[in-house]
Amino acid sequence: MKPFMDTQTPSTAKINVTPVIDVAMVLVITLLITAPMIARSDIEIDLPQTQTRSVEDEVRVSVTLGKDGRVAVEDHVVPAGNLAAALQERLRQAGNENVLVVVRADAGMPYRAVREMIQEVRSAGAKRIAFATRMRAGEDQ
Amino acid sequence: MFVMKKQQRETSGLYEVNVTPLVDVSLTLVCILLLSSPLAFESSITVKKSAISTAVVEQRTDADRIELRLVSVDSVLVNETTVARGELRQALVPLLEASTSRLVVVGCDDAVSHGAFVDALDHAKIAGALEIAVVGR
Repeated sequence: MKPFMDTQTPSTAKINVTPVIDVAMVLVITLLITAPMIARSDIEIDLPQTQTRSVEDEVRVSVTLGKDGRVAVEDHVVPAGNLAAALQERLRQAGNENVLVVVRADAGMPYRAVREMIQEVRSAGAKRIAFATRMRAGEDQ
Repeated sequence: MFVMKKQQRETSGLYEVNVTPLVDVSLTLVCILLLSSPLAFESSITVKKSAISTAVVEQRTDADRIELRLVSVDSVLVNETTVARGELRQALVPLLEASTSRLVVVGCDDAVSHGAFVDALDHAKIAGALEIAVVGR
């Protein structure tokens, strides 16, 4: 004889997946929005601080010059002599013809190094150039 | 009759809203904001290409032409007049008010730090420069 209780409680328990889906959706949307922001090198630099900022493009290509002289295009470290070639390849991609190239250099670097980098950026065909800065806390103009 | 009253008593209690999904999403957002806040504070100052800017500047009158050159961390040449970097903004305001184009051409000596150079660009923008061009040597 089959026990009475077996017919009342099913043997398979359902897991509530709603919170998992909620969190996953939020993560996906956030990553989609912040993807252009986080595509930059992890070379440690101390950006110069400013009170002003220019109107910024959502799509940009960053070029980083680290304290130790290392150079990176977006998040790829490139040999110092290959910056122009690496950037040129990046600028040739569809939609990047008139893209803003942001030069990220350490505040303590001598201007000579930055000037040489700008020359290479220009030789690569960059039409619009900006210097990356960090907003001073509590000041926004 | 008695059965109906008992059922009403059992179902008329306070209902609890399931806040677990809300808390999950909120905590995820807080974690993302904490991690991405250093990135959000990064901004930039756009500059014009020096080759074009220099050509344009040469065609303008002397009153229109504002040239900065950082010769050291502490001193700046503003139209060939030496000004302390701390007083750069005050020196630029009357010049920019007299200028119709509000274009400032900035140069910098090789030994000066990049931080001091960007600070000069920042002062020029605060003083009212509409466009900033960077020249090489």
